[in-house]
Amino acid sequence: MARVEARDADALAALYDRHGGRLLGLAQRILGAGGEAEEVVQEVFLFAWRSASAFDPARGNVLTWLMIAARSRSIDRLRARKPASRPEVRSLEEVVDPPAAPDDVEAASASRQWEGICRAAVAELPEDQRKALELAYFEGLTQQEIAERTKSPLGTVKTRVRLGLMKLRERLRPYSKGGSDGA
Amino acid sequence: MAHSERHEELVAAVALGMPLGADRAELEAHLAEGCAVCESLLMDMREASAALGAAVPAAAPPPDLRRRILASLGPSRGSAEPPAAPAERPASPALWRVLAAAAALLLVVVVLDDAKMRREREDLRSRTADLAGRLRTTETELAQRVLRARVLESEDVQMMLLGGQGPQPGARARVFWSPTARRGVLVASNLAQLPSDKQYELWVFHEGKPVNAGVFDPDPQGRALFESTDFPQPLAQNFAVTVEPRGGVPAPTGPIVLVGKPA
Repeated sequence: MARVEARDADALAALYDRHGGRLLGLAQRILGAGGEAEEVVQEVFLFAWRSASAFDPARGNVLTWLMIAARSRSIDRLRARKPASRPEVRSLEEVVDPPAAPDDVEAASASRQWEGICRAAVAELPEDQRKALELAYFEGLTQQEIAERTKSPLGTVKTRVRLGLMKLRERLRPYSKGGSDGA
Repeated sequence: MAHSERHEELVAAVALGMPLGADRAELEAHLAEGCAVCESLLMDMREASAALGAAVPAAAPPPDLRRRILASLGPSRGSAEPPAAPAERPASPALWRVLAAAAALLLVVVVLDDAKMRREREDLRSRTADLAGRLRTTETELAQRVLRARVLESEDVQMMLLGGQGPQPGARARVFWSPTARRGVLVASNLAQLPSDKQYELWVFHEGKPVNAGVFDPDPQGRALFESTDFPQPLAQNFAVTVEPRGGVPAPTGPIVLVGKPA
């Protein structure tokens, strides 16, 4: 990131090659395939280009920082759509896996490894906790909206969200601060 | 008040970026007393939330996306340059972690549509109340200015979306204003940092002419919360943000980076 800060366009291109596909996958998961997801990715990298000096490694790694930026912009656009035009939530299988870039196999491998760890941790959650967290994260629903969508009491939803995040946190603890791919 | 499961529920909601509404005040009061459990929980739950996103498989980007992104960058230097000096940070690790947690709350972009305006308005007010209680940096000044504004409590509050222009096509903003109170609040994101001799200036269009409505700086994440008072009467018709010399100028001279569209 110090190189990105130094306005080295090659460094930003390398950051894109390393993380662009992952950010696009997240944006597509929230917005559906199409131009808006690509616009979000473009905005995030432009933002990273302009704000590299603001990134502090003590707060977490680059990928998390980029993904938070991509997720919030995607939810922003999702909520701006008229309700009737919101796409159905796509299943993971509809998102295509990219081929590894030939000169970045190691980074791709570490990134996929982290993807696998996270996916396993999420899959291990009880169904109702996982569902509540996914509705919150990928559709930006409030706890009240989740309660209505799942036909559950509000208090139950709050408990599921709390327990779900705590379980994820415990499951990921052995890998934290070094398990995910940084730049 | 003692730490309880209820606080953990609130921290979990914050970590997922959910608006808390009226519950925010309760969490704010609890954090103001200093709760090490909640502070560490917030950081951990944020990372856990990120895992939900990391579990999504990467997608194959279209080949021209890379070209478009690189083409949209400003001037770049091909050769390596020494990195800029690291940003100042407070000495205490505990305070830094709290600041990072509070900054995490800022990462959720304020979004509105007409049907949810009241809830999001309350959330913005309570979110800035939370910030004013926790931060000891220049962000506190911004949050306190917003708190003092009566805009969000006005019954006749209106909202306009501003879109990025020219050198900052990715910038976004909303202006909330009260025609009767003649005050407004700008909430902006994706703003570039400016050289030290420049500032962003807000203009209110009144009878077709831009009127100076104040200057502001973005935070390190490119976001800004800015309160402006004394809007001209009658109703403001449009808003714009330009880049001007620090301190502002009476009439716009610099490039337009944000301009309004009907909400």
